[in-house]
Amino acid sequence: MTGTPLDPDAAAAAKGEAEEQARAQRNLGWHLLWKTLLEQKRALILGVAIGVTWTAAKVAVPQLTKHAIDRGIEQNGPLLAWSVFIAIAGVATGLLTAGRRYLAFRESRWTETLLRERIYAHIQRLHVAYHDKSQTGQLMSRASSDLQQVQQFVVMIPITLSNVAQLVAVTVILSLTDWRLAIVALAPLPFINVASRRFSSRIHPAVLAVQNEQAQLASVVEESVSGVRVVKGLGTEQVQFDKLRKEADDIQRVSLKAAGIRSRFLPAIDLLPSLGLIAVLGYGGHRVINGDMSIGDLVAFNVYLTMLVWPLRNIGMMVALGQRAAAALVRVHEVLSTEPAVKSPEKPRQLPPRTSATQTGAVRFESVHFGYDVDREILRGFDLAIAPGESVALVGATGSGKSTIVRLLLRFYDVTNGRITIDGVDVRRLDLGELRRNVGVVFEDTFLFNDSVRNNIAFSKPDAEQSIVERAARLAGAHDFINQLPDGYDTQIGERGYSLSGGQRQRVAIARAIVADPRVLVLDDATSAVDPSKEHEIRDAMRTVMSGRTTIVVAHRPGTIALADRIVLLDGGVVAAVGQHRDLIESSERYREVLAAWAVRDAESDAADGSGIAETRGSIAAPTGGD
Amino acid sequence: MFGMGAGVAPEDQLDRSQTRRVLRRVLRMAYPFRKTAYVSLGCVVVTTAATLAAPILVRHGIDAGIRANDVYELNLSVGLYLVITALAYGFGRLQYVFLNRTGEAFLRELRLKVFAAMQSQSMAFYDRNKAGVLVARMTADIETMGELIQWGLLQFLASGFLVVLAFAVLFTLSWELTLVVLIVFPVIVIASVKFQRDSNVAYLSVRERVGQNLGTLQEGIAAVRVIQAYAQEDHQIKRFQRSNRSLFDSHVRSIRISTWYFGLVEFSGVVAASLVVGIGGWLVHRDAVSLGTVVAFILLLSSLFDPVQQLSQLYNGVQSAAAALHKLFGILDSEPEIGEAPDAVDLPRRGVLEVNGVTFTYQAGTHPALKQAEIVVRDGERIALVGPTGAGKSTLAKLMARLYDPSIGSVSYGGTDLRRATLASLRERIVVVPQEGFLFNGTIRENVRLARITASDEEVEAALARLGILDHFERLPDGLDTEVRERGSRLSAGERQLVALGRAALVDPAVLVLDEATSNLDPGTEAEVEAALERLMQGRTTIVVAHRLTTVQRADRIVVVDKAQIVEVGSHAELLERNGKYAALARAWEKSHAL
Ligand SMILES: Nc1ncnc2c1ncn2[C@@H]1O[C@H](COP(=O)(O)OP(=O)(O)OP(=O)(O)O)[C@@H](O)[C@H]1O
Ligand SMILES: Nc1ncnc2c1ncn2[C@@H]1O[C@H](COP(=O)(O)OP(=O)(O)OP(=O)(O)O)[C@@H](O)[C@H]1O
Ligand SMILES: [Mg+2]
Ligand SMILES: [Mg+2]
Repeated sequence: MTGTPLDPDAAAAAKGEAEEQARAQRNLGWHLLWKTLLEQKRALILGVAIGVTWTAAKVAVPQLTKHAIDRGIEQNGPLLAWSVFIAIAGVATGLLTAGRRYLAFRESRWTETLLRERIYAHIQRLHVAYHDKSQTGQLMSRASSDLQQVQQFVVMIPITLSNVAQLVAVTVILSLTDWRLAIVALAPLPFINVASRRFSSRIHPAVLAVQNEQAQLASVVEESVSGVRVVKGLGTEQVQFDKLRKEADDIQRVSLKAAGIRSRFLPAIDLLPSLGLIAVLGYGGHRVINGDMSIGDLVAFNVYLTMLVWPLRNIGMMVALGQRAAAALVRVHEVLSTEPAVKSPEKPRQLPPRTSATQTGAVRFESVHFGYDVDREILRGFDLAIAPGESVALVGATGSGKSTIVRLLLRFYDVTNGRITIDGVDVRRLDLGELRRNVGVVFEDTFLFNDSVRNNIAFSKPDAEQSIVERAARLAGAHDFINQLPDGYDTQIGERGYSLSGGQRQRVAIARAIVADPRVLVLDDATSAVDPSKEHEIRDAMRTVMSGRTTIVVAHRPGTIALADRIVLLDGGVVAAVGQHRDLIESSERYREVLAAWAVRDAESDAADGSGIAETRGSIAAPTGGD
Repeated sequence: MFGMGAGVAPEDQLDRSQTRRVLRRVLRMAYPFRKTAYVSLGCVVVTTAATLAAPILVRHGIDAGIRANDVYELNLSVGLYLVITALAYGFGRLQYVFLNRTGEAFLRELRLKVFAAMQSQSMAFYDRNKAGVLVARMTADIETMGELIQWGLLQFLASGFLVVLAFAVLFTLSWELTLVVLIVFPVIVIASVKFQRDSNVAYLSVRERVGQNLGTLQEGIAAVRVIQAYAQEDHQIKRFQRSNRSLFDSHVRSIRISTWYFGLVEFSGVVAASLVVGIGGWLVHRDAVSLGTVVAFILLLSSLFDPVQQLSQLYNGVQSAAAALHKLFGILDSEPEIGEAPDAVDLPRRGVLEVNGVTFTYQAGTHPALKQAEIVVRDGERIALVGPTGAGKSTLAKLMARLYDPSIGSVSYGGTDLRRATLASLRERIVVVPQEGFLFNGTIRENVRLARITASDEEVEAALARLGILDHFERLPDGLDTEVRERGSRLSAGERQLVALGRAALVDPAVLVLDEATSNLDPGTEAEVEAALERLMQGRTTIVVAHRLTTVQRADRIVVVDKAQIVEVGSHAELLERNGKYAALARAWEKSHAL
C-alpha cells in the first residue's frame, strides 16, 4: 500500500473487495479441478476405499505384536499363531499399499494430462495480440510446473484421507489402552504437524527463489550460446561472464537461505517423535513397574508412535500443497478463461466458390486504421483495391507497416477502423479457418518445425501426395538442394535437426505456401536471403504460381517488385503512390528515396552508353537531395 | 531426494575406473573447501550414531529397568535418550549448514569454471555442440551434481555406515535373531537393486518424453502465428495430444514399477517383524535372549531397512552425478581453440590485413569451405565479398576476424598473426556484425550498448544519431527504452537489423566486418546507413558481404568467391572488363534491376 488513505473506511472496503476477488478466483480454480476430478470419480473413490482398508490392516499389526508379546512370550501362549497373524497382516498391507499407490499416482497423472491438453488447445486458439504480450516461458510453466503442483496435490488426496483415518484409529486405540500414557506420548506429535506445515510454507518460496535464480542463469547461458556470434563478434565475453557470475552468486545466496530453513525445521521434525518415545519409555516404564500396564502395551505404544510420524508430516504438507495447488489453479484458470479476441463469427459467411470460370481473390482495404498500442497508429486510412488475379508489390521504408498489413489480412489483429474484404466479404464475417486457408503467407522470419522437410512443406495439407510436395519445392527452387540433403525429403530440419542456410530456409517456406494453394498469396520479403542469381530462377517459377492468383509481394529489390502488375508505396500509414515502376520513379520523390532508385536511374541512362553498369559512387555520397 | 529423480542413460554409464577417476578429481577440486567438509562429515557421524543408540537404550530400559524393577536404570536410560536426542538435533542442524556451505561454494566455482571454459572455445565448438546441450551442461548437469554434493555423497557414506553398524549391534545383541533378520534382508536388497535398475530405465523414458513433450509444447507456442496462419490448430492439437499421451503411458509404466516395490517393502517389513516375534519369543522361552532384545530388534528393523533402500537410490544418484561430471570435465578439458598464446602481443593500432594461403574445413573429413585463399587488404581499404550462396563468403569474413582459426595458412594484421594477438586487442581492433542480428531480451538501448558496456546513454544515442536512425527509434512510444521482447519480436525485421548496426557504430574498430548486415532494410535506409557507416569508417578497413549491387559497387576492390575459392579480385570496372564470374553476376543483378 502506498500513501495514507484519506478515508479508512473506503480503504478497508477496497481491501475487502480485493480479498473477495482473490477468494472468488480461488473458487474458480478449485471449481476447475473439481470438474476435472469428477471425470475420474470411480478410480478416485476406489483409491480412497483401498486407502482406508489399508489403514485397518496397518493399525492391526502393532496390536497383534502386542498380543504376541503379552500372550505368546510373557504368558507362554500360542506364539506361532500370533506370528502367522502378523504375517497375514503383512500380506494385506503389502497388497493394499500397492493398490493405493497405483491408483493415486495414475489418477493424478491423468488429471495433469487432461488439463495440459486443455491448456495447449486453448493457447493455440488465443489471438496473436495475447501472444505478443505473453512470454513463451510463462505459458510453458502454466502447462508444466503449475500442473505439476496440481498433480502433487491430487496424488495426496487418497493418501491424506487414509492418513487421517490412521491418525484417528491410532489415537482411539492408544487412549483405550492407557489414556494417561496416550496423552503424554501423543503430546509432542501435533508439533510435527505444525512444524511440517510451517516448514512447507517457508521452504516453498525459498525453493521457488532457487528455481527462479536457476532459470535466470539458464537464460544467461542460453543467450550467450544462441547469440555467440554477436558475443564473439563484438568481443563482449566479459559482459556475459559478469552476468553469469552475478547469477551464480544469487543461486548460492538463495540456496543457502533455503538450507537455513531446512536446518531449522528438518532435524526438529525428525526428532520430535523421539520425545514421544522417551515419554513412553519413562512414564510407561514406571507404569509397567507399578503393574499398571503390560510390556506388550509399551512396545505397541512405541510402534504406534513411529507409525504416526509420516501421516502427521503428510497432513502438514498437504495443507501447504493445497495452497500451492490453489495458486497454480488460479493461474491455469486465468489462461483457460481468456476469451480469444479474434474468433469466428456465430454465423460465418461463405466465400464465393473458386471455379475456373469466375475470377476470385479480390482484396479490398477500405480506409483501414490500426495501431498495436493505442498511442501509436501504424495505419491511418489505408485504402487499396486489388482485382482478382492481380499482383501488387507493397513497398515502404523499414517499420512503415508492410508486415502489419499482412497480419491484418490474416486477421491476426482486427482493424480499429475501416474494413478488409475478400471477394466482397468482410474478413470478420468469415470463419477463421476458411479465411486463413484462402490466404497463404510466407513470413519474413521463416519458422521451420522440428520435422522432416516433407512435413514442413506439406504443413497445410499433412496428407498431401509426394508429387504435390515436390512440385511445390521445384517451383520454390528448393528441390535441388533438398535432394542433396542426407535423407532427401525425409531429412529432419529445424532447431534439433540439419541446419539450413538462410536462403534455403526461405525457399522451404515458399514451398509451404505453394502447397496451401491459396486464393491470395502473400510474400513478405520472402527472398531477402536468397542470392540474386538464384532469386532470378525462383522468380520465373513464381510467375507460374502467381498466374491467375491474387498476389501481394513485399519486397525491396527492384527485380522482385517487377513481378507485380502494380506497385503500392506505403508511407505514413497511407497509400502514398500507386502505379508502374517507371512512372513512380519519375513522379514520386519518396519512391525514389525508399528504393534508392537514383542509382538505378543512372544505371539505366548509362546503359545506353554501353558500359553495362554505371559507376555510382558519386551519386550515393549525396543521398536524398532536396527533401 | 534422488529417488526417482536420478537416472543414467546406458551410453552415459561410466565404468569403474572412469568413476573412480571422476570422483578422485572431485575430491581434488573440493580440496579448498576441506575444512567445512570435515566438519560436515563429523556431524554426519554423530547424528548417525545417535540414531542407532536409541533402540539400544530402549532395550536397556526394558531389560535392566522395567523387567528388573530397577527405577534407577530406567531413569538413566530415559535421561541418556534425552541427551542423545538433543545431540542429534544440534549436530543435525550443523550438518545441514556445513554441507550446504561446502556444496554451494563448490558449485559456484564449477559454474564459473565451466562457463569460462565454454567462452574460451571457438565457433567450431559451438557448431559441434547444439545450444540445448550446452545449456543443459550448465543447468541440469550441474544441478544433478549439486544434489550429490549437498547431501548425497555424505548420506551415502552415512547410510553405509548405518547398515554396517546396525548389523554389528544386532549381532552383539543376539546372533540368533540376526540370522532371522538375514532371511528377509536379502529380499529387500535384491528388490531394491532390481527396483533401482527398472526405475532407472523407466525414469529415463519419462525424462525423455517430458523433454519431448516440452519441446512440442514450446514449438507449438513459438510457432503459433504460423499455425494459425495456415489454420492448422486442430492438427497441432492432435500432435500435442499424441506426445502428451505417450508421456502419460510412460508415467504409468514407472508407477507400476514403484507399485510392486513399495508393496513388497511394506510386506517384508511386517513379515520380518513376525519372524522376530515368533522366533524371538521361542528363544525368550528358552532363555536364550531377553525380551528387551526382541523389542530392540523390532525397533531396529526400520533403521536397517530404510538405509538399504536409500543406499540403492543413492548409488544411482552417485552414478548419474558421476556421468554429469564426466561431461562437465569434458568441457573443462577441451583445449580452448581460440585461446591466448602465453606470449601474446597487442595488435598494432593500424595495419594491413593479410590472408596467407588459408584453407579451412568446418568438420574434419568434409570438403574445405575455403581453399588457398590469398588476399592483402590495405589499411583503410573497403572490400566487398561477393559470390553465390554457400560459396564461402561468410567463412572468409569469419576467418578474417578470427572467429575460427585457419586449418592451413594464417591471417595477420599489421604483421602480427591473429593467433598471437591478445584477445582484448583483437576484439578491439576487429568487430563483426553477423548475418543475423541477434537481439537479447531487454530494451533497444541495452541491446546497442552491448557493443561497449561502458558507453553512457548519450554515447548510445550519439551512435544511433550518426547512423541517422535515432529519430526512428525515438518515435516509438517508449523510445530507446522500448522492450524488444523475445528475440526482438516487438520490432520490424528491418528495425532489428538497425539495432545490430547501431552496435557497430558504438565501437571504434580499425577493421569492421559486415556480413549481410543490411539485407532486410529498404534500399533507401540501407544506402543512408551505409553512407553513414562509410563516413564513420573513413580511413578504416571495411569488409562487406553483400548481395546488392549498389553496395558492391562502392567498394575499392571486390573479391569474388566461388566454390570455396577466391576467383577474382579487382575494382568494379576492372572486373567488368575481365568479363569473368563477376561480370556474369553483375549481369544477373542488372537483370533484377531492369524492369
Ligand atoms: N507486435 C508488435 N507490437 C507493437 N508494435 C509493433 C509490433 N510489430 C511491429 N510493431 C511496430 O509497428 C511498426 C510497423 O511494423 P511492420 O513490421 O509492419 O514494419 P514493416 O513495414 O514490415 O518493416 P520491415 O521492412 O522492417 O519489415 C514498426 O515500427 C514496429 O516497431
Ligand atoms: N558452421 C558450419 N558448419 C559446417 N559447415 C558450414 C558451416 N557454416 C557454413 N558451412 C558450409 O560452408 C560452406 C560455405 O558457407 P558460407 O556460410 O561461407 O557461405 P556464404 O558464401 O556466406 O553463403 P550465403 O550467401 O548463403 O551466406 C557452405 O557449403 C556451408 O554449408
Ligand atoms: Mg516487415
Ligand atoms: Mg553468408
